[in-house]
Amino acid sequence: MEIVVCVRPVPEAETRLRVAPNGQTLDADGVKFVLAGYDESAVEQALLLKEAVAGSTVHVVACGPAPRTEEVLRASLALGCDRATWVEAPAEFAADSIRAAGAIAAVVRSPLPDLLLCGKQGGDDESGLFSGALGEHLGLPDLNYVTDLRWDAGTSRFRFQRATEAGAERWEAPAPLVVGLQQAWNDPRTAKLPNILKSRKATVAKVHADPSVPPGAGQPEKFELPAPRTGAKLIEYKTPEEAAQKLVRILREEAKVLP
Amino acid sequence: MPDFSLTPEQESLRDLARKFARTEMAPHAAECDRAARFPDEIYRKAYDLGLMNLNVPAEYGGSGLALFEQCLIVEELAYACGGMTTSVIANCLALEPIILGGSPEQKERFLKPFCAQYQFASFCLTEPSGGSDAGALRTLARREGDQYVLNGEKCFITNAPHASLYTVFATVDPSLRHRGITAFVVPRSTPGVTPGKDEEKMGHRASSTSTVRFEDVRVPVRDRLGADGEGFALAMRTLDQTRTPIGALATGIAQAALDHAAAYSLKRHSFGKPISEHQAIQIRLANMVQAVHAARLLTWHAAWAIDRGQRGTLESSIAKCFASDSALQVADEAIQTFGGYGYMKEYPVEKLLRDAKLTQIYEGANEIQRSVMARELLRAYA
Ligand SMILES: Cc1cc2nc3c(=O)[nH]c(=O)nc-3n(C[C@H](O)[C@H](O)[C@H](O)COP(=O)(O)OP(=O)(O)OC[C@H]3O[C@@H](n4cnc5c(N)ncnc54)[C@H](O)[C@@H]3O)c2cc1C
Repeated sequence: MEIVVCVRPVPEAETRLRVAPNGQTLDADGVKFVLAGYDESAVEQALLLKEAVAGSTVHVVACGPAPRTEEVLRASLALGCDRATWVEAPAEFAADSIRAAGAIAAVVRSPLPDLLLCGKQGGDDESGLFSGALGEHLGLPDLNYVTDLRWDAGTSRFRFQRATEAGAERWEAPAPLVVGLQQAWNDPRTAKLPNILKSRKATVAKVHADPSVPPGAGQPEKFELPAPRTGAKLIEYKTPEEAAQKLVRILREEAKVLP
Repeated sequence: MPDFSLTPEQESLRDLARKFARTEMAPHAAECDRAARFPDEIYRKAYDLGLMNLNVPAEYGGSGLALFEQCLIVEELAYACGGMTTSVIANCLALEPIILGGSPEQKERFLKPFCAQYQFASFCLTEPSGGSDAGALRTLARREGDQYVLNGEKCFITNAPHASLYTVFATVDPSLRHRGITAFVVPRSTPGVTPGKDEEKMGHRASSTSTVRFEDVRVPVRDRLGADGEGFALAMRTLDQTRTPIGALATGIAQAALDHAAAYSLKRHSFGKPISEHQAIQIRLANMVQAVHAARLLTWHAAWAIDRGQRGTLESSIAKCFASDSALQVADEAIQTFGGYGYMKEYPVEKLLRDAKLTQIYEGANEIQRSVMARELLRAYA
């Protein structure tokens, strides 16, 4: 089985984010980029399938600028992906998930793999556009928020679940298929030290993103940091009764959340 | 131009260690410290990820890292728990004599099967009657045909109760002092080898330390490392390699102390403002950051020198001694910054002080490091 998994570099969770002067991307200066948690789940899913279906290969693809994109591809190779392709594009290009999906579609279109996986949404802008856009660009069915995807050799179909507000749906579908993975339903593995060393020496194929892929509606218009929170109020009190009385008065008269 | 930036490969190795340290080690550090528990399940994971036999060449199943990369990893691990780090890196110390002094046949025979499984080895040099004066050790190796018969006792041996392999330094003739010392590889299963019970320690309580007794232990000549009398030099060459990672271990403890102190100083208020706004606290934090930074750079420099093929005796002694003294100082200052809370076991900084203390003592006490430094230094003027 040929599996493509699409990943994207996002700032490490503890990063103090700053908006770039253009207002449309994050300021990358000094920021460490990593595989998003969603993408880790996607890579883990790809590797589980590879282990379950003999003769499978996992091809990891990412669209974006140097050096962060190459870094997450090498991290994916260290986890166990077989080969990597870097679709090089400026940060603004890749920030448009629909455009990035177009550039990646151009690279994986022929021959079409059996399965294309990605995280349910970008770990940075959380747009959730990518899997739908990739399906659209490739003319393939796509489903998002998927968990526990397995290959049923008997019926030659994928079987999987899909998280919904009410519970889980059970699905089955033939290849080829685009799937967005729910985060953290599996327990993504950690790359082992020798595999990290090997991944540093592996080749990452590099192609330039097709500039004729038009910008899509996925282009973020503006990034803004949330306004600093204000209004926290400390109640001075001598007894717990007094504290409770003061709190109820504030909730009733100032916050107006109590009748 | 010297370059202080890390390569992407070095960054990914450090990141692996950091992730392991913070997700697997740190959450259990306080509990293992309190209960003096040897967390086998954490060590097994460290082994599975390749964080254990860092110095063993890859062809023998180790990670094959240069000293600089080992130091990056050790600092990250120690940031989470000094004691666990001591146990994780003890194999490096125990196996280094085989790496440096073993024949290709011995490396094949000992290192390969050892590294293929999760297991521990211990380095047995120190004896109850003395550690610093290693030339005076008393464990006797009497030659009988194509065997040696070992008799004696070692003490303070890291991981000894859990180890399956020991590298043992013994003397073929005490009157020869240094020139009689000879190194052997002794499997735990050899009759007459008895590790003692776990010592109750001040710090590094997630690590395990005990005596090992050797009573009429028969060791074939082919398990001797090098020739008779070459053991002392081998022990010293081993410590030249492993001293620098102790600098990294101390740096990790010091960095943790600094991070705790700085974060606490921003939250704790006195006299109407965060204590970080009192100049006395600022000066203390400034002194702490200098010590941590210098400890790290001295460690990096020693590792760099040794990786370039220098012996690095002076550099590694400076790194180990300065970093361990700094760790104790910075941990002490972190406690002072926390005030009364710093003295309480509920807060993480008092453990750092207890853990830091050991780094001044083991792998050559700092007095010995200083006498080595003076010797190396004065040689240039003699
Ligand atoms: C937790 C722990 C783990 C250890 N793990 C191991 C291990 O795995 N393998 C192993 O072989 N050993 C191990 N050791 C032993 C350690 O290396 C020794 O404790 C250390 O070398 C000091 O030896 P000593 O304790 O016999 O002190 P001594 O040699 O008796 O020294 C006592 C004091 O005198 C000072 N002193 C001695 N000689 C001089 C001198 N010439 N000039 C100035 N001052 C001097 C020392 O610095 C020290 O302050 C461990 C120790 C501990 C506590």
